[in-house]
Amino acid sequence: MNKRTSQLLALVGVGALALSACTSTGGSTTPEDTPGEAASSAPAPTEKVELTFQSLSDQPGAIAATEEVVKEWNDENPMVQVTIVPAGWDGVYDKLVTQFAGGAAPDVIHYEAGSVIPFALDGYLADLTPYISDDLKADVSEGVWESVTVNDQIIAVPTELQSYMVFANTKLLEEAGVSMPEGDTLKWADFRDMAKQATTDAHAGLGWGLKSPTATFLSLGLGNGGYFFEGEGDDAKVMIGEGELTLPKEIMAMNNEDKSIETSTLTQSGGDVLAGFYAGNYAMTVQGSFQAANIAKDAPAGFEWVVLPALEGTESAAQSANPQTLSVNIDSTSVDQAAAFATYFTNAENMAALNMADALIPASKAARDLIAEQTGGEDGWTQILKSGEFLESAPFMKVTNYTQWKDTVATPAFQKFLAGQTDADGLSKDLTDGWDQINR
Amino acid sequence: MGRFTKPGQYLLLFAYLIFLGFPLLWLASAAFKSSAELNSLRVNLIPVEWHFANFPEALAKQGLIRSGMNSAIVSLSTTILVIVVSIPAAYALARFKGRLRTLGVGWILTSQVFPVILIIIPLFIILKNLNLVDSLLGLILVYTTYTMPFALWMLQGFVAAIPKDLEEAGAIDGASRFKVLKEIVFPLLMPGIVATAMFAFVSAWNEFFFALVLIQTPDNYTLPITLKMFVGGEGKVALGPLAAGAVMAAIPSLVFFAIMQRKLTSGLLAGAVKG
Repeated sequence: MNKRTSQLLALVGVGALALSACTSTGGSTTPEDTPGEAASSAPAPTEKVELTFQSLSDQPGAIAATEEVVKEWNDENPMVQVTIVPAGWDGVYDKLVTQFAGGAAPDVIHYEAGSVIPFALDGYLADLTPYISDDLKADVSEGVWESVTVNDQIIAVPTELQSYMVFANTKLLEEAGVSMPEGDTLKWADFRDMAKQATTDAHAGLGWGLKSPTATFLSLGLGNGGYFFEGEGDDAKVMIGEGELTLPKEIMAMNNEDKSIETSTLTQSGGDVLAGFYAGNYAMTVQGSFQAANIAKDAPAGFEWVVLPALEGTESAAQSANPQTLSVNIDSTSVDQAAAFATYFTNAENMAALNMADALIPASKAARDLIAEQTGGEDGWTQILKSGEFLESAPFMKVTNYTQWKDTVATPAFQKFLAGQTDADGLSKDLTDGWDQINR
Repeated sequence: MGRFTKPGQYLLLFAYLIFLGFPLLWLASAAFKSSAELNSLRVNLIPVEWHFANFPEALAKQGLIRSGMNSAIVSLSTTILVIVVSIPAAYALARFKGRLRTLGVGWILTSQVFPVILIIIPLFIILKNLNLVDSLLGLILVYTTYTMPFALWMLQGFVAAIPKDLEEAGAIDGASRFKVLKEIVFPLLMPGIVATAMFAFVSAWNEFFFALVLIQTPDNYTLPITLKMFVGGEGKVALGPLAAGAVMAAIPSLVFFAIMQRKLTSGLLAGAVKG
């Protein structure tokens, strides 16, 4: 089911939810604990509580890690037993809409910030603010907390994040006489020079899968001061200026002027580009940080690669944070215990195990430190973990109709731009007019 | 007919077979390739190194056999229910004229214009009140209801194609209405029944959205749900195990078609009016 259909379902859901809400007999928005008290100190219930935890973990290692955490919880809390309900990522939004409408949503919900926010806005998620310990609060960056905060309420605990990183074929860069960048960030101008320098008759400097470019442009655009939206919810407006257009224009310049991008990759997905990267068709590729695990697994023997420092735009190395999250159903049989489980699940040890299995970046610094210690920084972990510090909340995550705009306006407009069928002004007009049309 | 006509026909048929069969061949090939080979630029139908681990991984990690059993139960039950209800209803629709028929046809056509998305939430609430959410029985009832209008429409077309004269001839020879139906109409309707059964089976076997929303626990997942779980977040796809799972999932469907296809042709050959 495509995102447009999902949106339609969501709209239909609102009507049905309004009806079902009339008969709802579930929990309460008011936590039973004293505000500010950490969830782990929630008193044991007098009667046995059974909680369901809808988990989207899909990698074998992550599934095992999740099962292990739940087993430990169940052993330590005989009066609060948690059952994992595995679900797939595909279609989970529609599933949740129906589950909430039918009053059958799980107690603890694994999802991602950008997609779970609409449920919070509709009042289906418990306020977790009183359950977050001061330690956890301090250990996760403000920007990431901001991404899971709705109307001053923390509606989810952030767990795993990804950033866009540059992966480089060490041998090809060395052959081209490109020196490896050092430091915590890599300035865009230097990156562009590297790609130009690494381009030869035999291979391009860069392969970048931009088949679905919107997420990449909006995330990396933050580093150029490109926010794309002003305002939140229904009041949001598209705002396209120099900051928003810098990255698309730079990529086109690399493609048309520098000739340092393998043009065919611009129409491929990120994962599809990896085969050419392994074959030495380009010296570098920009990918989601999680691809480090796939490269470590799938690259041919003898293939030498590194992860370069986080890309830095004209203003900063910021990228948007859209963490995977754990939320609590406001109608849970016990919001207290469900919140206690969610915070237990996100302690440093558990987060380190889960993120290592998923090759993602933990939201908390303590978990990142644990991974750094356990991996010794191998397979690009040093740079990937460092990039986690630059992740910030982005305005688009809290915009009503963002998904519809992304799928029906932004992606086709960016694709048109990358195909050279329109210029920057045309792109700006397409993005703005499309938004106006959606919100007419 | 020219001397090149027949070879030309076979050539076209072969090309069409390749067109239809190649994705399946590629799927089977992917099922035996390692992740490294699948993520290389090498284009080869025969794997460089046969990698059998995808099959046990697909079977063990995602409970494919259990899902296959659930899909078989749901699909076969739906098929039987659809056929049992559709045959008399299609006969009535095709043979009896009147206001009821107009209403029936109107209902069939109207039911086709409602997208699933519009009915899923009320349906979920109704099934929840009947304790039929997360149950295979609930899914069977939903599939039967959802497949019935089109199956009915399809089958009544087959009934209408049977000459009424044959039934009248049977009646003149003294056969009761039941005997006419059993001895004359039913055998001639067999190809239509088989085609409708195939449609009902495939619809239920492949259906994703109702199962996604209505089924809550892994024990009751059907194959499409389980196979979708090989596609993870952040664009991660376990391509090898997914291909292995899809190959295994296709086998029961192919067996069902192989059996039913024979019936389809035998029914067509049954004939009716002899010159």
